[in-house]
Amino acid sequence: MAAVLVVAYTLVAGRTVGFDLSTFWQVWSNPLWEKFWPIPWGWVLDRHNVLDPLVETFQIAIVSTLIGCGLALPLAFAMSPLTAPNRVVLVVSRSIMNVVRAVPDLFWAKLLVTAVGIGAFAGSWALSVFSLAVMVKLFSETVDGADPRPLEAARAAGGRHMPVVRTGVLPTVLPEYVAYGLYVFELNIRASVVLGLVGAGGIGRVVEAQRQYFRFDRVLGVLVLVFVVVFVIEQVSMAVRKRLV
Amino acid sequence: MIEFRDVSVTYRGGVRALRNVDLTIDDGEFVVVVGLSGAGKSTLLRAMNGLIPATGGSITVGGTEVVGASNAELRDVRSRIGMIFQTFNLVHRTSVMNNVLMGRLAGVPAWRSTLGMWPATDREAAMAALERVGIVEKAYVRASNLSGGQQQRVGIARALAQEPSVMLADEPVAALDPVTSRQVMGDLQRINLDLGITTLVNLHFLDLAREFGRRLVGLREGEVVFDGDIDDVTDETFREIYGRAITVDDLKTADG
Amino acid sequence: MDRLLGAPGDAWDVFRRMVPPAFGEAVDRGVPGKVLESVHIAWIGTLIGAVLSLPLAFLAAGNVAPVWIRTPVRQLFNVIRAVPELILAVILIPITGLGPWAGALAIGVHSVGTLGKWATEAIEGVDPGPLEAVAATGGRWVSGMRWGVLPQVLPVVTSQWLFRFEINVRASAVLGMIGAGGVGSELVSQLVFRNFPAVGAVLAMTIVVVLAIDTASAAVRRRIIRGAVSGVDEGEADRNAAVLTDLTGIRTP
Repeated sequence: MAAVLVVAYTLVAGRTVGFDLSTFWQVWSNPLWEKFWPIPWGWVLDRHNVLDPLVETFQIAIVSTLIGCGLALPLAFAMSPLTAPNRVVLVVSRSIMNVVRAVPDLFWAKLLVTAVGIGAFAGSWALSVFSLAVMVKLFSETVDGADPRPLEAARAAGGRHMPVVRTGVLPTVLPEYVAYGLYVFELNIRASVVLGLVGAGGIGRVVEAQRQYFRFDRVLGVLVLVFVVVFVIEQVSMAVRKRLV
Repeated sequence: MIEFRDVSVTYRGGVRALRNVDLTIDDGEFVVVVGLSGAGKSTLLRAMNGLIPATGGSITVGGTEVVGASNAELRDVRSRIGMIFQTFNLVHRTSVMNNVLMGRLAGVPAWRSTLGMWPATDREAAMAALERVGIVEKAYVRASNLSGGQQQRVGIARALAQEPSVMLADEPVAALDPVTSRQVMGDLQRINLDLGITTLVNLHFLDLAREFGRRLVGLREGEVVFDGDIDDVTDETFREIYGRAITVDDLKTADG
Repeated sequence: MDRLLGAPGDAWDVFRRMVPPAFGEAVDRGVPGKVLESVHIAWIGTLIGAVLSLPLAFLAAGNVAPVWIRTPVRQLFNVIRAVPELILAVILIPITGLGPWAGALAIGVHSVGTLGKWATEAIEGVDPGPLEAVAATGGRWVSGMRWGVLPQVLPVVTSQWLFRFEINVRASAVLGMIGAGGVGSELVSQLVFRNFPAVGAVLAMTIVVVLAIDTASAAVRRRIIRGAVSGVDEGEADRNAAVLTDLTGIRTP
């Protein structure tokens, strides 16, 4: 029964979307491809063209990771049945975060650009919201799964709620918190590539400008550069995570 | 003094863990509570500090009513009662010192303990507690690097750091080997004698109960079925509490 | 500095003007249909990603594929992951034209990267026993995969697909912003006119649908994972958390 529904829905969706297998071979005759090559490394590695915006992207990513993850820490504790101070806080914080997470990241960016104007500033805002959403999702699962027994011990000693959570749960989940923080930072670097589309700053601004002039060779160059950067970050954060856990 | 008057605990599912318990424990007593698992031993201890709220009756600890107490009153009662656990309940990923400092939570302003800025007096108290259980040299070791016996000593130190007048021990040696079990029970006994701390210990093992207990309380299906001096206890008493014959599983040292 | 301090106020001002949302106007403009189109795009995209990534994952898993094939396949996953859907859609639009098919294809190709990586990890985690048993009967590599590995990983892989679907619903909404079908175009055009009540309605409708899909998908994922580890009831939340954690590539001890 369920299978029939899934197949039926797939057919309907496929029709609406305009599913067309021929695209798969037509794609190779795309006239755009030759615009991708060769990569103009001279242009890409120019300080002014790409590297400065890349530094800006790093700044945006660092600031938003810090803000997002900082806010996520208390929120995740408020959202877990284990550590929420009471039911009202639990339900309210969960509902708010669900709504925040339901809005796609670039929608946030677009809204914030409209509100505070084009530039790196709006980008930091958007990525902060994005970091917060991702971090809360991941980290609250960790808090849910934390060992409840030290918490009981801290309660039995007569502590108030905040210190009880701080001493009883935080040390247990801190390594995961840092690991997820590094992961969120990586996601932020990846996301910043497309932020320019809505007018938020950083490397995305470069991608967007070159895309509009159909300079896909330059776009590809930037993508390769970001790919390398993300790869390096991944390696570093993997090494750090190994030490933590 | 601890007084239970007609205390009942009914869980949400309808299970009655304690039925009309009356019990008076004088200051400085060393009481061993025995019973099968599920007889209500853990509930009895946790009702005393409100970790499990009693659904009927009255419990007073040192004159303070626990049943229906406000959060602040509960914290006050809990600060006077130390508790140690079967599974030690340590935070593994932090130092022994930080674990013992948890015993000082009630007396330290929330912002200080949250930021980890513990006052010097509390650090000294934690050190003193570690000294009493003889593992002061492990103060800055990660809790996860200790053996089971050492972890339970940290648990005891954490309770002692509260400078409590009552000590609750919930199956403190169930997870330990026979030799370590005797040492830990010995620690508890010594603390009771030296500091005059009223001590209640849940035990499953009859040989340990005989060796270390002075007063014995037997629970069966949430009711007190025996309460008396350990010297009056016979195998027949145990059979009555357990509702079955005694087996080797009920002894910590199989040949004892 | 003024801008920094003024920003929360500005943002708040924009959000306040969205209330009450102009639902009537949004319905007249066919926004609900656009939201559904985003869902269709995400669904088809996820399926394309699933179909392409599963066979590739078998070629990338360390326990079943030789090193000369798994290294290039893994690198392929990494490269695909590095190219955002939006860029893919830009490349595809000259062929497909503006519209949902560009979006679906972009999502499908981009999903191959993550889905392939996750499925590889699932395959690497299988119990080698059944694989050995198939080999002992003289079966070929393909039969070993089909009968020894696939049944073991299918529950986890299916829930990965669903999880990716949840992500893709958001992604397809965004793709509309460059004309690849779905609700994104509505958000952009209403924002251009600074018609905030209509923006509010677009957002509200998107949120409702995304939440509904998240909830339904999470429920199905839970059932799949629970069914896979039959006979054990407790720790179900733990396993869900574990699966989710695995998806990020961060394993907790």
